[in-house]
Amino acid sequence: MNKEVAVIGYAQTLYEEDADASREMLTLRAAREALVSAGLKREDVSTVVTATNDYLDGRTISNMRTVEPSGASQKDESKVEMDGAFAALYAIMRILSGFHDVAMVIGVSLASVYATYLPGIMILDPTWDRERGLLNEVSAAALQANCYMREYGVSDEQIASVSAKNLDNAARNPLALRQMPGLSVEQVLDSRMLYSPIRELNAWPATDGACAVVLASGKTAAKAEKPVWVKGVGLCHDSYLTERPLAVMESLKLAAEACYKQAGITDPASQIDLAEIHENFAHEELMAYEALGFCEEGKGGELIESGITQIDGGLPVNASGGALGANAVCATGLARIAEAAMQVVGEAGDHQVPGVKTALAHGQSGPCAQDNVVFILGGD
Amino acid sequence: MKADEDLQNVGRVGLPLAPAFNWSVGNWMEQFFDGLKERKIMASKCGLCGRVFLPPRMICERCFAKTEEWVEIPETGTVEAFTAAHVRVGPDGELADLPEPQLIALVKHDEADTLLVAGLVAKNASAGMRVRVVWNETPSGALDAISCYEPMD
Repeated sequence: MNKEVAVIGYAQTLYEEDADASREMLTLRAAREALVSAGLKREDVSTVVTATNDYLDGRTISNMRTVEPSGASQKDESKVEMDGAFAALYAIMRILSGFHDVAMVIGVSLASVYATYLPGIMILDPTWDRERGLLNEVSAAALQANCYMREYGVSDEQIASVSAKNLDNAARNPLALRQMPGLSVEQVLDSRMLYSPIRELNAWPATDGACAVVLASGKTAAKAEKPVWVKGVGLCHDSYLTERPLAVMESLKLAAEACYKQAGITDPASQIDLAEIHENFAHEELMAYEALGFCEEGKGGELIESGITQIDGGLPVNASGGALGANAVCATGLARIAEAAMQVVGEAGDHQVPGVKTALAHGQSGPCAQDNVVFILGGD
Repeated sequence: MKADEDLQNVGRVGLPLAPAFNWSVGNWMEQFFDGLKERKIMASKCGLCGRVFLPPRMICERCFAKTEEWVEIPETGTVEAFTAAHVRVGPDGELADLPEPQLIALVKHDEADTLLVAGLVAKNASAGMRVRVVWNETPSGALDAISCYEPMD
């Protein structure tokens, strides 16, 4: 893609365990601050795409009453019942249609409202796995981690290194929920075992929060103060978790290939300066390294050991702390886009990586990272 | 414009409704369930690519076609992966510690191409181990007809 759509504004709320605010107020905060960031007013936005989930909000039509705080009143408005990163893709499509100039994308949820692990059961096959009572989001991820570790000889320590890195990075991000400066691999391994090999610090924290991103057409973005261009985007859906090989993230690989083709990326490890990966569980980040072509298949564990993906390495991954640092469902992938854009602009503060020109953002949805969307963002 | 810190929420209410659903499991799952009640493991097979689905699926996503054939699958299979569950999701939707870890396995039945998730009772479990179905002596229906898996030797 050549200067057709850009991110021109973004905002995230503070991520909290139990926010003293409703989702409407979190949405309003994120939307207003994203407009300020974009230098625009509500009137300038013509289409709004929200990412919310009926089950997480305990109501059907979960965008009910998010229309007002997202600034969508009497505008073109639609909802994506997935992560906000997928909503961003739809917003890009709305702009590319030529009918819309500026789009607002918002993802929001409050884990303090719902029973934390029930949604991860509700997403399973309702005629079998859900009823059998063994699978949930965490046990499914644990089975995937075991498939991956067995196939490629990846160790517990290598997986724990992802948590140690991301939660230490989170300590530099004032918005992150789980900030653990100096966290060691041993401390991660000593945390409460959930489903082997997944320990508490290998899994996402239940989080309240919202993220908003403003996207604009090339014409409008060219006049913006800090446009971050969407160079490419790829989306791919995979089979249900018991009907695909779990040791690889095939759909992420295919999504990345489609994205890289649009963005002219032929050597991702050298052309990408920073990546924000939606890792609900620590092992997923290692699997993503491979699917995204940062290293060869099966070498994700070696890549984390090399230090390249540390915040001061050659290809920092999740300088923000990633989903392990904060995971407001529906906002998490969208926050990866906001964080990647922020890094390109140079506004990331204490977790800013110097000289980021090209950044990758990834969002996922479904058990064992069933659906994946990949964006390449760049400053010029 | 900064976030308005005075725009804070007050209190929260519980939802009075607990909706119950009555799923139609579909004709293929119904036949699968009927089989389980007779201790038969029935899988559907794609007539085009030959892929065998267990539990049975009505559609082969790769061939974009309805699966029309049925095959009876042996009670034996191989553990692809397993996890030791130290917790379970309690009725409140939160993780509660189990008194003893329980094994959950991904089992690939012989002659099937997809995986079943089930309990595994084994002292020295390992990926790749050969297992067989342990049938529930007093099942309340099809869902608990397979009690768990145990090592073949």
